[in-house]
Amino acid sequence: MKELLRELCQVPGISGFEEEIRACIAEKIRPHVQDMKVDAVGNLIAWKAGRRKAKNELLITAHMDEVGFIVKRVDDKGYIRFAPIGGIDRRTVIGKKVLVGKARIPGAIGLRAYHLVSAKEEKIVPDMADLYIDIGATGKEDAQKLVQIGDEIVFDSDWVEFGNHRIKAKALDDRIGCAAMIRLIQSELPVDCTFVFSAQEEVGARGAFGAAFAIRPHIALVLEGTTAADLPELKEHRQVTRVGAGPVLGLMDRQTLYDRELFERLRALAEKHGIPWQTKRTIAGGTDASAIQTTASGVRVASISVPVRYIHTPSSTASLNDCEQLYVLAERFIETIANEKEDL
Amino acid sequence: MTNTRSLLETLSSLAGPSGFEAEVVRTAVELLKPLTDEAYVDVFGNAVGILRCGKPDAKRILFSAHLDEIGFIVTGAEEGFLRFAPIGSIDPRMLPGRELTIMTDPPTFGIITCLPPHVLSAEEMDRSFPMEDLRIDPGLSKEDVSKTIPVGTPAVYRAGFFSMGKDAVCGKAMDDRACFVAALLALEKLKGKAQEQDIVVLGSTREEIDHGGATVGTFSLDPDLCVAIDVTHAETPDGGPKHTDCVLGAGPAVAFGPNHTPWVRDRLFSLARQKEIPTQRIVMEGKSYTDGWEMQISREGIPTCVVSLPTRYMHTPMETISVQDIESLADLLAAFMEAPGWEGDCR
Repeated sequence: MKELLRELCQVPGISGFEEEIRACIAEKIRPHVQDMKVDAVGNLIAWKAGRRKAKNELLITAHMDEVGFIVKRVDDKGYIRFAPIGGIDRRTVIGKKVLVGKARIPGAIGLRAYHLVSAKEEKIVPDMADLYIDIGATGKEDAQKLVQIGDEIVFDSDWVEFGNHRIKAKALDDRIGCAAMIRLIQSELPVDCTFVFSAQEEVGARGAFGAAFAIRPHIALVLEGTTAADLPELKEHRQVTRVGAGPVLGLMDRQTLYDRELFERLRALAEKHGIPWQTKRTIAGGTDASAIQTTASGVRVASISVPVRYIHTPSSTASLNDCEQLYVLAERFIETIANEKEDL
Repeated sequence: MTNTRSLLETLSSLAGPSGFEAEVVRTAVELLKPLTDEAYVDVFGNAVGILRCGKPDAKRILFSAHLDEIGFIVTGAEEGFLRFAPIGSIDPRMLPGRELTIMTDPPTFGIITCLPPHVLSAEEMDRSFPMEDLRIDPGLSKEDVSKTIPVGTPAVYRAGFFSMGKDAVCGKAMDDRACFVAALLALEKLKGKAQEQDIVVLGSTREEIDHGGATVGTFSLDPDLCVAIDVTHAETPDGGPKHTDCVLGAGPAVAFGPNHTPWVRDRLFSLARQKEIPTQRIVMEGKSYTDGWEMQISREGIPTCVVSLPTRYMHTPMETISVQDIESLADLLAAFMEAPGWEGDCR
């Protein structure tokens, strides 16, 4: 899991610009699936036969896109002005290294030196529209040779293993889910499954709509990365989820009420197999389940997520134990689908 | 010929916040050794390199570039997190989600915390996090954190060194290791040439706190003339004419103001003209915030000038400088080392 996740996190793939990550995943799963295709929105959909046909068709999904930026303008002095793609807290991007365009031109998001900042100014965070990327260009023309309006901008962040089984990388949300799905695809499955590596989740589950409509599953399992806010300054009830305390079972978030029976099934499985589990302490965030649940005549949705601190920043962190447990729980969940005797 | 970029990468990648410069100083002394007659660590922890001219009663010029950098120090533990204080002046807005190298042996990785938007109000989202609300997350349990990282452990930005565009490089601690590199390059240019005066290069410590290294180093080295080499603010989109008139890539900046002895400054400009070295004129109307401020009033007072390297985003992990500017600065320093012209000669 570790090596696979490490590789996936290093690949760029912001929403709407998923080509590279999609190609990387496609190459890994091709020998293990019966069929696969890329749809109009850019989802990678794969069919894998299991030992038997499912009574209730199962879709497993994780999104392959990540948050990032897009070039809006090259200014008169050759600095890049940009807008976010996906939800990015502007406080977390100041002074960070980015890679601009397909040529991955290195640059840094600037802020004038502290010596030149008033006591009042340091309390205010500049608007995203006032931030800029320095690529070391000598002027507008020099910059325009390297960068075009509309170019993608990705975080540059290496993979670090640290502390107590912790990892740090960009895009842990949701390459963790992608890595778990790739592992499932590379293994022998007890039942037929459809897998969707979805596009554009970060801009509103845009990929999941079409994928779910095309597949029309009975049940969908979403594998995700979710917010952890387990910091000492927050009281326990506000900490959303806690890193290292096991996978998060989807109960309710801002967009979805998850299927109660499937939630109970996941909870029972976790307890039976000694896997720690948690639910969100605050109702926050959303997943592809929001789009899938109301597809066509409706789909029963479940989710398993890994808590991620500093999510949507270049330095997101998670626990490898949580990642491993997400995989094991997903595997056990598939077994229960294989053993179902009747239509749900 | 030394490769400027790789030398700068080596030096700037070392961790050495004020008061904890030992590793940088050791490396600096090793680099000074082949370029000087004597190189050592002084009693205060400064790196010193002396190039002697061999003449009796030779005058002595002291060039200071500081080896310390801004950083952090652990002040306590809270759950599995570390409280910290800054070493030197640091913009709190530079910190949320910031990766650090904590100077344990071996070094420990840590990230400065930031609360996710999900738990913040709209009003809170528009404010920066005050430094005292931030912690370092080393990914450890409550039990392990104080054992692994005791109170008093320093830390620095974990930042890669990289080239930006044709001429710029970006990373931490360009302030002021880039200027130390310029001093080394200048010494290299003097090699094998007969000198009229002794040249001393001081890799000073604690500049970011109180210029302590330069204060005591200048006293003990007892020079006749001082040059502080340090970074200065280069223009950025949010730091324009209101903040600085200096730009990146237009050569080293020589300053006007009370910290800059006129005849020394004029000599620097005339050498730059003769040798066609690009320079910029800047104004430091008061305190120069460099070693030069202390050097000028050492002992009975010493003629002093500050020569500056233009830098964007000072005190951040992405301090940006021009390699060409470092090389021009080295040319200017070498010219001055060879022919400072003493007060009587300069008009």
